[in-house]
Amino acid sequence: MIENKTLSSRVFNILNNIIMGILAFSCIYPLWYALSLSLSDKSAANSGLVTIYPIGFTLNSYKEIMGDWKFFNSFWISIQRTVLGTGVTMLVLIMMAYPLAKSKKDYKPRNILMWIVLFCMLFSGGTIPWYITMQKYGLIDNIWGLVLGGSLPVFNLIVMMNFFRNISSDLEEAAVVDGANPWRILFQIIVPVSIPVLATIVLFTSVYHWNEFFQGLVLTTGETNYPLQTYIKQLVVNIQTTNLTKDQIENLSKLSNKSLDAAKVFIAMIPMLIVYPFLQKYFVTGIMLGAVKE
Amino acid sequence: MKNVKKLAALSLSLVMLFSSLAGCGDGKGKESTASKAEESKVSSKVEESKSEVSTSKTEETSSGDDLAFKKFDEPVDVHIGMSVSPIDTTLPAGDSAQDNQYTRYLRDNYNINVIVDWTAAEGNDYNQKVSLAIASDTLPDGLVANEQSYLRKAAKSNMLMDITDLFDQYASEQVKGIVDSTDGRAIESVSFDGKMQGLPNVTVDTDGVHILNIRKDWLDEYSLEVPKTLDDVENIAKVFKEKKPAGDQTIPLSGPDKNERLYCTFLESSNNAHGLDPVFSAYDVYPGYWLQDDKGEVVYGSTDEKMKPALERLAKWYAEGYIDPEMGTRDSSGEAVNANQVGMFFGPWWSLGYGNGDSFKNDPTANWQTYPIFSDDGKWNVHMKSVGTSSTMISKNASEDVAAAIIIMYNALVRDEGVFDTSVAIGWYPLRTVAAAADEVEHESQELTRVLNGEADPEEFNDPMSIYKLLYQDATKVRNVVTGYTKDRELAVTDFSMENEGDFKRMYAILIGNRPYATTEVDKKVYSLTYSMTETMERKWANLKKLEDETMLKIITGQEDISAFDTFVSNWHAQGGDEILAEVAGLN
Amino acid sequence: MKSKFMNQVHYTLMILPGFVWLILFSIVPMVGIVMAFQDYNPGLGYWQSEWIGLENFKYLFSMSDAWQVMKNTIIIATSKMILNLIVPLTFAILLNEIKSVKYKKVVQTIVYLPHFLSWVILASIIINIFGYNGVVNTVAGVFGAEPRVWMQESSIFRQLVIGTDVWKEFGYNAVIYLAALTGINPNLYEAAAIDGAGRWKSIWHITIPGLIPTIVLLGVLGLGSVLNAGFDQVFNLYNKIVYSTGDILDTWVYRMGLIDLQFSLATTAGLLKSGVSFILIIISYVTAYKVANYRVF
Repeated sequence: MIENKTLSSRVFNILNNIIMGILAFSCIYPLWYALSLSLSDKSAANSGLVTIYPIGFTLNSYKEIMGDWKFFNSFWISIQRTVLGTGVTMLVLIMMAYPLAKSKKDYKPRNILMWIVLFCMLFSGGTIPWYITMQKYGLIDNIWGLVLGGSLPVFNLIVMMNFFRNISSDLEEAAVVDGANPWRILFQIIVPVSIPVLATIVLFTSVYHWNEFFQGLVLTTGETNYPLQTYIKQLVVNIQTTNLTKDQIENLSKLSNKSLDAAKVFIAMIPMLIVYPFLQKYFVTGIMLGAVKE
Repeated sequence: MKNVKKLAALSLSLVMLFSSLAGCGDGKGKESTASKAEESKVSSKVEESKSEVSTSKTEETSSGDDLAFKKFDEPVDVHIGMSVSPIDTTLPAGDSAQDNQYTRYLRDNYNINVIVDWTAAEGNDYNQKVSLAIASDTLPDGLVANEQSYLRKAAKSNMLMDITDLFDQYASEQVKGIVDSTDGRAIESVSFDGKMQGLPNVTVDTDGVHILNIRKDWLDEYSLEVPKTLDDVENIAKVFKEKKPAGDQTIPLSGPDKNERLYCTFLESSNNAHGLDPVFSAYDVYPGYWLQDDKGEVVYGSTDEKMKPALERLAKWYAEGYIDPEMGTRDSSGEAVNANQVGMFFGPWWSLGYGNGDSFKNDPTANWQTYPIFSDDGKWNVHMKSVGTSSTMISKNASEDVAAAIIIMYNALVRDEGVFDTSVAIGWYPLRTVAAAADEVEHESQELTRVLNGEADPEEFNDPMSIYKLLYQDATKVRNVVTGYTKDRELAVTDFSMENEGDFKRMYAILIGNRPYATTEVDKKVYSLTYSMTETMERKWANLKKLEDETMLKIITGQEDISAFDTFVSNWHAQGGDEILAEVAGLN
Repeated sequence: MKSKFMNQVHYTLMILPGFVWLILFSIVPMVGIVMAFQDYNPGLGYWQSEWIGLENFKYLFSMSDAWQVMKNTIIIATSKMILNLIVPLTFAILLNEIKSVKYKKVVQTIVYLPHFLSWVILASIIINIFGYNGVVNTVAGVFGAEPRVWMQESSIFRQLVIGTDVWKEFGYNAVIYLAALTGINPNLYEAAAIDGAGRWKSIWHITIPGLIPTIVLLGVLGLGSVLNAGFDQVFNLYNKIVYSTGDILDTWVYRMGLIDLQFSLATTAGLLKSGVSFILIIISYVTAYKVANYRVF
């Protein structure tokens, strides 16, 4: 491209740089804010004095968390859920996406199956029948309830399927000539060339499992079995009750501690902060190839 | 072609296999619960026969309370669901919802083994769990319904035990005394189709009497008079707004936070801290209540024309910045009070002491006082509460022994609440449904004043079966807490010793918080025609209530002008209000 | 022929685990849909409860509340959909114009960040930031604006929901466009420059046309989620005062079913939502195929 050094162009460049800077700042600010709040004195945090930097710097909140086994228990449950959930989902999705990526000619029931899958994505009996079912399966307070309960992520299936569909069929044909069966073709040929899309879906799935809070409440019998987001939700977002009794009110006001809450929020963000830069280089190509066909 | 058929057959049979598997799971689940119930029935029969022999041997009690406090020979397992405070710190390390001083007390004294099937954070999370338990027909043996609607739904779905006879048999004399003090309202509140289906919550009447709490020290600072009417409140708010005694964060009059209500309603008719009830009462209007007008017609208070001047005044206060600008969205209005940013707020008797303990901690001279607010013609109008909102539900699948155990737990709480070590929050008591004599606080405040005056000896009150269950404890303590007492002078915060925080809070609430109701004659007590839902309400109330809440809040916060009220009234009537009015009229 | 048949068996075996999953966790609970046609009584269960035909649907349509909720849902969802196309697109084009590769990389990495944080966490922070003593008011105060209570103004709440969602997702959504931009032949730009076209002209005549297929496709794909206004977000952000503009179908269904005990009504609303979404998905499928010759699935 030829450099274009007119005045307007330079103004544009400067402005553009500034706008991009502001946008980037706005995206990092919540993180920064939670950090500042968590490092601030309890009373400063509670009365809303913290904006940019910590006020009355203290590590008390973090010290307090160190002794909070419930927090770490929830953290551990979330880790388990994310790892198992991602593993199982990936395996199932890979096996499922491959046949569905075939045309109707190669795999006859393909279209019917696809419509059933789609139907399942859209229709549901609602929370209550789902809860009753989960109860009958014995999946209350069970890590597998959290892993499987959310059902099959159909959107991810479609992304993966579209990617598989675009893989050159030459690769496969060569293998078929060699006498490989579909299992070998899938795991030895298709999977290795699909790393970008698989990495992307690993990211999607792990983000989903890490961030999901609602099922955690429905599928468990108490906070010792809550995943992290459910734990934080009950603590931070709203203790919504219309019928507070006097001792509840007393407790609420006595124990409110925004600094401590912010520390928990901050720690809950960390795993995502660690994971996403690693997968970033894949998901750029992954989403692209999965969702959009050239 | 053959292949396709085979395949179709294969996949079809697979589908069938799975659906039958699922169905199988279904059947099994039911079978096993059924057989469990069967089992427990058998075992309870065995226990029953044993206990019949043994009841005669149990220790002697003062009255016919042999059964009310009996110790089972064999441990009785009571399965419950429990609401817990996620931020509670009073439970000692190692203890849990299932194993704490209260459950140990029940085990040691009555051989009742509490098993906590599930817990959830108090409020919405808990209510959601209760809904799920009802929806899936998996109620534990005992469960507290926070609102009547849950009890009602469970009763209508035929999930609850008819405890009419059991209650008669097992309730202690003390409990019966309390229940009788409500003239049948308590039993009525938990009865459906003539069957008693829950243990009632009976709370003190003063929980529903809302008064003005005010920083007397701020009043003194600006030489202001004690307020009597809304005009006085307005003037004081104006001064607080201008002078900012708490700096820029000063809130002259606090309002409800996001979890609280603008005013009490027939469904939630008490304990509305930071609400605005007295403002409406001063206009002789009672939103949220079902009333009879002069002509004998049933009306709904929120649609009364008299709402308009009250709302307009509140809107003015809001616009002027007298009311907390964050009303309705603030996380906790109590927090602002505790941070000593607030000059005035409305609430029931316990708002001071119990409700704002930290305020005194942060400023030991914060001289909070309470006063009733009168109408312009000098009347004190008060809307009265229902007997209690919560209740303990007993599943119909529970054995008779388990149901008896739950009633015993209720008896024991009433009798022994005063002797527990309160450093562990009483909220940890399993299936806690409070029962207290309706006039308990007024009675206490009179008797405690007599003790302070030297006119009564604390030992006079030493009767564990009295329906004023905390009086004796309090009487022995009161002199140590109110150290600066002088006869015939208004008590101030400086007269109290804060050494024991719990005692301080309780005495402050009784002696100052409840002073208006204990010492001032109420000119007009207003009861709602009903405190529970009618048939149509079950379907339509949520919608109507939402309409109402929104309209009122928007008018007050200035997002809509007063004409929105008329729109609300006509919508309210059209969207089911008329139907409900007819039903309420039919109740009497 | 034999190997072909064997392949079919293999394929079916591969699909099996996924289908078992679907059957157990999606199809079995669908039995509950019958509640929409009943006055569901949990004590009696699905089969003994009273059947009332379309009564629930009739009642639902007669509620002014239901229409308001529907309106909120559609407004919020479509605004999000449109803005989630335009904003990331604009951002991607602008970012593409940045010369410093390093700066570009840094900005790009940072703007994905909010996408990965849960609404539980973001809501707790957003409520703080937009609170009365929050940063937004502090900054606005510098410019002389009166402090407001953002979260309780029903006239603003919708915009707030839409805005925060766009903010959360724009960086991430831009990924697709950035990827598409790299696919545009750089020779085109050079040719344009030789022809004397300025920067705006090349953006207008080369960049945007190059992105059109992507835009159309994403637009069509979004159609199916017209009734998904974002439960997680609204659930964690809203409060009673903003129900009139902020309450969406999913939160309404949640409250009806799990707080107000209106099991049947909640199911009815859920079923309606599924039905409408299903139709829209079919429309988008057909459109995508006809217009862009793209088979979504």
